[in-house]
Amino acid sequence: MNICGYYPESINEGEGLRASVFISGCRHACKGCFSPRTWNFDYGELFDDARQREIIQEMADNPLLDGLTLAGGDPFFSAAEAAAFVDLARERIPGLNVWMYSGYTFEQLAARPGSDEYELLRRGQVLVDGRFEQHLRDVSLLYRGSSNQRLIRIPESLERGEAVLWERSNPLISIR
Amino acid sequence: MSMTLSFSPTRQENDALEEVIRLGRDIADSLNTETLRENANLNGDSFSGKMSKFGSEYAKWYARRLVLPKEVEAAIRDNTVYVHDLDHYAVGTTNCIFIPFDKLLAEGFSTGNGDLRTPRTIMTAMALVAIIFQCQQNAQYGGVSANKLDYDLAPYVGRSFIKHFRKGLAYFESFAEEQRTLSGSASDSSQPDSPTDEEIYMDNADLQARYPHAYRYAYQETRQETFQAAESLVHNLNTMSSRGGGQIPFTSINYGTCTSSEGRLVMESLMESTMRGLGQGQTPIFPIQIFKCKKGINQNPGDPNYDLFLKAIECSTKRLYPNFANLDAPINMEYYVPGDPNTEFATMGCRTRVVADRFGRNHLSGKGNLSFNTINLVKLGLEHGTVLGKRKWADEEGYYAMLDRSLGIAMQGLLHRYRIQAKQPAKASDFMMREGVWEGGEALGPDDKVEDLLKHGSLSIGFIGIAESMKAMYGKHHAEDADVYAKALEVVRYMRDYCDAMSEKHDLNITLFATPAEGLSGKFTKNDAREYGSIPGVTDREYYTNSFHVPVYYQTTAARKISLEAPFHELCNAGAISYIELDGNVRSNPEAFRKIVAYALDQNVSYFSINHPIDRCTSCGHEGIIGESCPSCGKKETEVRISRLRRVTGYLTGDYQTRFNGAKQAEVRDRVKHAGQAVRQE
Repeated sequence: MNICGYYPESINEGEGLRASVFISGCRHACKGCFSPRTWNFDYGELFDDARQREIIQEMADNPLLDGLTLAGGDPFFSAAEAAAFVDLARERIPGLNVWMYSGYTFEQLAARPGSDEYELLRRGQVLVDGRFEQHLRDVSLLYRGSSNQRLIRIPESLERGEAVLWERSNPLISIR
Repeated sequence: MSMTLSFSPTRQENDALEEVIRLGRDIADSLNTETLRENANLNGDSFSGKMSKFGSEYAKWYARRLVLPKEVEAAIRDNTVYVHDLDHYAVGTTNCIFIPFDKLLAEGFSTGNGDLRTPRTIMTAMALVAIIFQCQQNAQYGGVSANKLDYDLAPYVGRSFIKHFRKGLAYFESFAEEQRTLSGSASDSSQPDSPTDEEIYMDNADLQARYPHAYRYAYQETRQETFQAAESLVHNLNTMSSRGGGQIPFTSINYGTCTSSEGRLVMESLMESTMRGLGQGQTPIFPIQIFKCKKGINQNPGDPNYDLFLKAIECSTKRLYPNFANLDAPINMEYYVPGDPNTEFATMGCRTRVVADRFGRNHLSGKGNLSFNTINLVKLGLEHGTVLGKRKWADEEGYYAMLDRSLGIAMQGLLHRYRIQAKQPAKASDFMMREGVWEGGEALGPDDKVEDLLKHGSLSIGFIGIAESMKAMYGKHHAEDADVYAKALEVVRYMRDYCDAMSEKHDLNITLFATPAEGLSGKFTKNDAREYGSIPGVTDREYYTNSFHVPVYYQTTAARKISLEAPFHELCNAGAISYIELDGNVRSNPEAFRKIVAYALDQNVSYFSINHPIDRCTSCGHEGIIGESCPSCGKKETEVRISRLRRVTGYLTGDYQTRFNGAKQAEVRDRVKHAGQAVRQE
């Protein structure tokens, strides 16, 4: 597995301050994709055990981090390896909050319990799902590119068997 | 250029004349853009900007040639000490002030051309705030700040409320009375007693219960009026020019701790107006706003003003202001008296801090900083470090000996300047003394000397480039090595100890300043690079790193940068600020922003702010991060102007590519983001 980007602190891929890891490789081939070169599974740097541990250490050392985000590419094309990385990270950082991006929908990923994709999915807290649709592009959307894409609370959705949307649990309230 | 002279000049006089001629020609013909852009807030290309440059450039020339002590002049030439605002040296102008708005508004004041009564409404009060800022600005060369505008203006919200309430009472309550009488349900035929002015205030629940209609009317009307008043204040402070027409006043307003409904409304209105923006929604450059953070008042859920703290976060994600002042930091708790907002830490937007006074005025308003001189720490490192290959081990003894000399000269300059300032008559600072903006000034006659009052202000020694200084000494800067970090802290502590000792020796308030290096950041560097060549990590950039900051080009996390810089705040009693650079559209992720602010406060950073890019498409008005083309309307930068707002020395500037000087432009380019890489912009 390769990664094509790592940001120790990002505010763009999910709520709060998050470490973002971009896993190389994607077969969705969405028209208008912001970085087509990340479709290539060999793009970027090798994400071997040493590099994984290095990043996990940086996350553990950062008192401000809210969690980890897996983006890409599409991590679900490397689901087994990505899931193993999440497990490794949780050994060091129990309760690590994980967001993940995928061009697949929640329904597709949740359809086959036991599959690699399902196993990765159930390790996350929030899924940003769906292909990027150029005609639905909207720059004002939170953490996503087109209006068909959704922010989904994974545990609740798996429990209920339908997509439950994520909302800010602690919105910045307006006064009176 | 040919000149006819009525005398035969000596060679020296000839040289001097040529210098003066060149000064004028550079300005008139716009030959030296660095001179014209020295101050990012002044349009140096404009007529009035050039006129003011003629004055200031000659005043500097005059001060250096005829006024400054020889040692100080030599230190400027040697590039070891910098005298700020040299153009005001010879005439004895002072730097900045916290304005006692409560007093000026309550007692009324005179602008010199007309007398103004105490305002009866918040609308008028906010209009007068702008006028006071402007009048005061002309009496000094630095910034003007309100240290507690929420408290200062709350009484005028109250007056508006009384006015609206009485009107409401006249209409609605008598109408309700009629209704009750008509329907025969009113058994009590006597008119309700009209409440006194003292009883009419927003937090009076009894009033609200007795006169619900009048209360509701008054409340809504007062809210609306306060919003309008705040909106016009923000507009006024961005549009009225001062100081010869070239420059808008450098205004700052602090608020956050007043918990009355009236004071809270002042804050809510100011932040709402700031978020709404100017004209087509542009970010207001002024006033700099500072939210005063205090546990128990606005820091945690359940605190009475916690909602306003969250609003400040929201506003700052959109407009870069407010910044955050930390009232709980130990350095700021020292003179804090609960219940006296004038003892709460507040700051000039640029970071200048004036709290303690050895003559007893341990509060903020009515005094300010008098002047400051800045030491070039990098040169000390270059002379005594390993970086030039002259020695294997850094010569710390030499470094400290030279630091002593620099401190001595900076101090000599401050005292010399103070003597010029102190002997000025009250009438020279006009509004400031006559109206008692400087505490006690109103008691002076026009020709009385100001010395006894000025002594309450501060004289400060500033410094620049701890990072490059350490790099030159030891080959690493203070974020790269724990031992070097300890050395850096030691240097700053040494300077602080020196300031404390000088306070005792001269019986004056001498303080240590983390200089905001506006025009300075490039000057020291350029001269050192000329003398020592381009040295990687030391003189190879166009600027030196601000005060004790971790270099903007050094990659580290937000948390680490904060914890490295925090201990320096405690030492810089004349003021300091720490920044974090965020990339990405932070307005959609305020939680990350809040967390970083909370962490900085927790680490005892005294004054904190987060920089993030605000680009604005002038075609469709979209704001956020804009790369080569606007993500909203798709227009390219080659077709439409993209305005890129950035912050320099604490103040915002509309468009950094045209208003910043070269060194500052380079510094902005080099800023690495501590958090939030905008991956979608590649």
